[in-house]
Amino acid sequence: MRDVYIASSSMINVDRHFNRGYKELAGVVVKDVIEGASVEQPDYIVVSSMFAESSLNQLDLATILTQHLGLKPVPAIRVDTGESSGLAAVEIAYSLITAGRADTVLVVGVEKATEFPTRVTNRFLSKVLDYEVEVLRNITPPNYAALIMKEYMKRYRVSREELTIWPVKMHENALRNPYAQLKFKITPSKVLNAIKISEPITLYDMFPIGDGAAALILASSKVARKSGREVLLVRDVVSATSRPLYLRDDITRFESIATLISMLRRKYGFRIDDAVYEIHDSYSIYAYIILEELGIARRGASYKEVENLVYVNVSGGLKARGHPFGATGVYQVSEVYNIMVKGAGGVRFDGTFGLTHSMSGPDYNSRLCLLERVV
Amino acid sequence: MRSSISIFWRKKDSYYKVLLTRCKRCGRASFFARDVCPYCGSSDVSIVESSGRGRVVSYTVSYFRTDSNEEYLPLIIALVRLDEGVYVTGELRDVEPAEVREGMEVETVLRRYSSDDPYGLIYYGLKFIPVIKRG
Repeated sequence: MRDVYIASSSMINVDRHFNRGYKELAGVVVKDVIEGASVEQPDYIVVSSMFAESSLNQLDLATILTQHLGLKPVPAIRVDTGESSGLAAVEIAYSLITAGRADTVLVVGVEKATEFPTRVTNRFLSKVLDYEVEVLRNITPPNYAALIMKEYMKRYRVSREELTIWPVKMHENALRNPYAQLKFKITPSKVLNAIKISEPITLYDMFPIGDGAAALILASSKVARKSGREVLLVRDVVSATSRPLYLRDDITRFESIATLISMLRRKYGFRIDDAVYEIHDSYSIYAYIILEELGIARRGASYKEVENLVYVNVSGGLKARGHPFGATGVYQVSEVYNIMVKGAGGVRFDGTFGLTHSMSGPDYNSRLCLLERVV
Repeated sequence: MRSSISIFWRKKDSYYKVLLTRCKRCGRASFFARDVCPYCGSSDVSIVESSGRGRVVSYTVSYFRTDSNEEYLPLIIALVRLDEGVYVTGELRDVEPAEVREGMEVETVLRRYSSDDPYGLIYYGLKFIPVIKRG
């Protein structure tokens, strides 16, 4: 199995890009990332875009995008794992190189979440749940976050006010991220009094709707060295599937994450306190649970430790950097790459590991990407 | 046409009755009629009909707007523990949000889920309502 490196990364600011379509958004980051890696053309293109069929009315988006960008005859494939599609695209790219099937793979995450009014987008994004059992019966993702939050508050005797710390911190972090969608401070009171989504979840407990594009060049050793830039090793990308919420024994647990982090610690000697993280905080309550499942904080007490976290979601996370669904997983890897290689938002991480976590729904599936600095 | 008529016809038993899948291999029961146990993957399963009665374990009042549910907002999504010990998530109707209590007894009725506006198909299915105690 061959080593896989990140040779370059690129992203655009997350926003409502009404004046640009997916081809234009993707075009910007693809051009930038190919130049950055000093490659002529990739061997393979892996694309992630959660709303390809719904908002964009486009099947086989990977091929259409590749045709548009003039990259023939390069083969292209689109990956769909719901909200974690971006990291799944990295997973496939990693697999292609490590198996020797490609030397250079372009990963593109692109999302146009604003092509339709929000209430239509909300219907589309609810389809990450089981259509026949959940969606048709009027259940939507924020409902699950709300049920989980209520159970968590009851179980660990945590108040609604105490759980406002995460969004507040994310907005603070985003102030230093030029790519973030929301760049304004908020207070605990603003979180509590924001529009009700599914009580006790308010608008400021969840991600904004926005468009984005991010790209990476993953490469084998011989290609990576040619770029002349410091390179980061993609040690592994692992994933797992969890049960639907109504079949869980404990709805405050995200079991896939626990399984995956345990595997990474065992296999690669991953050390929790020697890493910089980007986690999938689609809802603030999920952030608290993810921190606990990763072992960064004690169960039921992660809210107490948020204030002291320096190297978690420096970008502002899904809450404030934004959640351009299919692109998010690619943004996260790009952000960790930047913090480790050159610094970002006034933060530089000189340690060993980078870990990104991407998931769909309430941990319907979760994926972890382990990055490692090589000397 | 938003949803498939075929799906509703094919799954009418599951949408118009509360059906559970009972697994002979692992012994667990789960909501919705399936041919595979979602706990262990075994196809050695049998379908049983639930009374549709249970108690509210938890609930949330939802204001999350989609172009399918707009006319029903706010709606209440409840996590219900059926008398058979199986958990279900579903909509709770005929009760004001302020009146919902954890532990409340509920039963199942046929209601409208959504419709293709304005002249299209209407999709029906089961929802929970409080059991009214005669005093």
